[in-house]
Amino acid sequence: MKFLQKEVLLAALLLVSTTQLIAQEDSGKIVQLENVTLVGKSKSTAQQLAIFYKTNGAASLEDILSRLPEMAMMRRGSYGMEPNIRSMNGGQINVLIDGMKLHGACTDKMDPATIYIEPINLENLQLQTGTQGFTKGSAIGGTLDMKMAEPTFNNTQRWNGQVSGGYQSVSQGWYNGTVLQYSSQRWAFRGSASFRSNSDYTDGNRNEVAYSGYHKTNFSLSAKFRLNNQTELKADMLTDDGWDIGYAALPMDVGSAKARLAALSVNRTNTASKWYSWQAKVYANAVRHKMDDSQRKDVPMHMDMPGISKTAGMFVETKARLTDNQNLQLRLDAATTFLSASMTMYPPNEVPMYMLTWPDNRNNQAGLSASWQWKPDSNYSLRMVARMDAVQSQLGSDEAKDYIDITGGNTAPRFDLLKNLALAGTRYLHHGWQLNASAGYAERMPTASELYGFYLFNAFDGYDYMGNTRLQPEAAMNADASIGHNGRRAKWLFTAFYTRVLQQIVGRIDSSFTPMTIGAKGVKVYEQMPYSNRYGLEASLQWKLHEALALVSTLRYTVASGSDGKPLPFIAPLKNIGSLRYTANRLWAQVEYEASLAQNKVNNAFGEKPTPGFVLAHARLGYTLPFFKERIALQAGVENIFDAAYREHLDWGTVLRPGRNLYAQFKCSF
Amino acid sequence: MKTKFSILFSILLSSIVFVACTKDDVEPDPTAGLYKLGSGFALGAGAKVELYTATPTITTGYQSFKIAVYDSITNTRIDDAHIHLTPTMDMGMMKHSAPYENPASTLADHHLFNASVFFIMASMSGSWTLDISIHNHANGKSGKLTLPITVAEPTKKRMLSFTSAADNSTVYFVSLAEPVTPKVGINNLELVVYKKASMMSFPADSSLSISFTPEMPTMGHSSPNNINPVHGGLGHYKGKVNYTMTGLWRLHFDFKAGATLAKTDSLDIEF
Repeated sequence: MKFLQKEVLLAALLLVSTTQLIAQEDSGKIVQLENVTLVGKSKSTAQQLAIFYKTNGAASLEDILSRLPEMAMMRRGSYGMEPNIRSMNGGQINVLIDGMKLHGACTDKMDPATIYIEPINLENLQLQTGTQGFTKGSAIGGTLDMKMAEPTFNNTQRWNGQVSGGYQSVSQGWYNGTVLQYSSQRWAFRGSASFRSNSDYTDGNRNEVAYSGYHKTNFSLSAKFRLNNQTELKADMLTDDGWDIGYAALPMDVGSAKARLAALSVNRTNTASKWYSWQAKVYANAVRHKMDDSQRKDVPMHMDMPGISKTAGMFVETKARLTDNQNLQLRLDAATTFLSASMTMYPPNEVPMYMLTWPDNRNNQAGLSASWQWKPDSNYSLRMVARMDAVQSQLGSDEAKDYIDITGGNTAPRFDLLKNLALAGTRYLHHGWQLNASAGYAERMPTASELYGFYLFNAFDGYDYMGNTRLQPEAAMNADASIGHNGRRAKWLFTAFYTRVLQQIVGRIDSSFTPMTIGAKGVKVYEQMPYSNRYGLEASLQWKLHEALALVSTLRYTVASGSDGKPLPFIAPLKNIGSLRYTANRLWAQVEYEASLAQNKVNNAFGEKPTPGFVLAHARLGYTLPFFKERIALQAGVENIFDAAYREHLDWGTVLRPGRNLYAQFKCSF
Repeated sequence: MKTKFSILFSILLSSIVFVACTKDDVEPDPTAGLYKLGSGFALGAGAKVELYTATPTITTGYQSFKIAVYDSITNTRIDDAHIHLTPTMDMGMMKHSAPYENPASTLADHHLFNASVFFIMASMSGSWTLDISIHNHANGKSGKLTLPITVAEPTKKRMLSFTSAADNSTVYFVSLAEPVTPKVGINNLELVVYKKASMMSFPADSSLSISFTPEMPTMGHSSPNNINPVHGGLGHYKGKVNYTMTGLWRLHFDFKAGATLAKTDSLDIEF
């Protein structure tokens, strides 16, 4: 029954004003709530939006993420899109799974950590930007933490679960998901399985987009054991297997992408104690990724590109109530990540050509963060967050060192200290008005590709990229301000931000290298630009127009330029999304629009082309059957009703997105 | 203070000597991993000679040898001898020699004498022999051993021979000496260059200036940060070649005599 409970709650969160929840958070006493995990985590605007869009049962995690105003997805294929937070990506942001690090094993960023998680595994999304962005790991652009669904103790129903499935016409795609839960007095289990299969989709010009299908399965199993009233032990396992994933905008596809993840954790909560919450976790994960061009025509030479990533880590988190108006949160974490990737080409009548593209390398990191919140009176709240990371990066073998020697790089281990500090203040005004301001400084490590990458081909600008072991950590100064209002019927938030990135890592053409990849234009070596500027604003509105009618709308706009005065590449243009949902008893209906302006501020040095604007319309309908104890819900809809031929600015190549899509889904809870 | 230091020093020294002695007892066979190409008695010198190479077959180009010498009666190693090589190609109608390097010292290095021959052609149209003349310093006697050598064409040629375009008369022989086992990374690049003075005399050359570019012909790309070989003595030119991946590489050479281009040619390497 957990799902019904949750959905009731979600609906409440969404359609009713959330003033109460906010008030609970502000009082710093969330732990006293009975349903602490659910309520305590469902408070941010991003989470509420995520929940709203999760209503579409077949939506992939990427679909949901792309609708958050802070986020945009960089698209190289119809799956495996790379999350961007306020136009920062890759090593600039953390993408975590339940606080755990998972590094993709693809040198071409085909497998961000988000592809290994299905919405069915997901409890909620924690999106942290600006001043909160580095509490779980040094990052200049923020953190996306995907909280995995947990088994719950249920006294009334020993077994429960859900089966869902769906079909979409645009890619003849099937989706199936199953969740099964078991609960006893001391034990709770949750298992989930999901399956997705999509053929090549058809774009708005009614053309089939070659190499855009994908297939994957995902299994997860969690077990919880209640040691006593305060302490719980939890074990998680997750496997995700993707195969034949097409990347229409890249010269290669993915033959297989396999992730394995395991974690053990202890949670201890004692509301009476000063240090009222403790969580400790150890985890390990491995990703094996194989790029494949065997399906492609006109390949000059067959090529294998396997990659591997292995991470092991731990963290301890604790929360303390120092005084009635002061809270402290500490986190100690450490992780070690090993990466290796290679390329083998098979020329006819010659020996194979073998090369490491990520010469074996290891990153060892340990960090401590502290977040202190002070609420002197009901009008103000102040937060200070600090984090320090010690990072050691090293090459993993003599063979790897031989590669870096060629470029004249430093093959000795390097040691970096990363420093992060932020301050935020909130002023609560009368009648639900609220002002926030924050400022911070953060640093991040150059990534393995930026340090050690060896002729990594970038299909966007057509250059091979070489790492540079002499890069310094990239830093950022952040400031943002927001004004919000929590009314009886409407809740809105308007945020403006400014970020100045210092020592921004960019690729610069180095003519002393010749490109390795056949057809590449040249070689770029990662260098550092003195600074770059990003300005932007985000707005969200959740408005209950009528008892049965709700409007949710978001807007984002970002402008960014480098110290050379030129626009930064991959900056999404102004985009506005709106959904109007009508709910009547067992029926709900929703119309949506997505509107994007053209992006003409492009960076030619990156081979960027202007992107025209577009407007899309979607319609969805849901109905819960009046029999079978109302446990069966049906849903159908049309996406891109007018069959617009469009692409978003962060899409690679000039590959158009899917055209009109009809879909139907069912969900059966028991 | 000084005495203490000298005591300490002598202890250290004696321990080193001691360690050195113990090491001597378990010294590995100096020819381990090498291939024995031939052996025989250098008649008159009271010595037995064994000829070793790093590869099982001899191919055209620069070929280094290790020579072991034993007393022909006691079979103990002879580490002090004067050794002289004479390679000869007998083509029936005519004979010629080849460039070679005698051991630089009369004292063996780890019981072996280093020498080399640059075989300028294969055994196909004639037969190679190698005369090894020994002046045995243990007994003061001299003698000679003649070994037949079979020289094959390698799968990828290692040598170039050309008449300089600068003067249209000087004949050069150039061979790759290093790397013997190429790897991805920085490799020592060593070329040996000899001139032909007569059919029997091939002196080392130090006059050329060499530049080169590596290329993967299948891909059309090069590699960065290579260092052109420069003459370091006795016809040996040393530089660095960087291989960014395994596979077939082609080294494009420009040989200049003074400011004039003597020859442009290439050698292939596959690993």
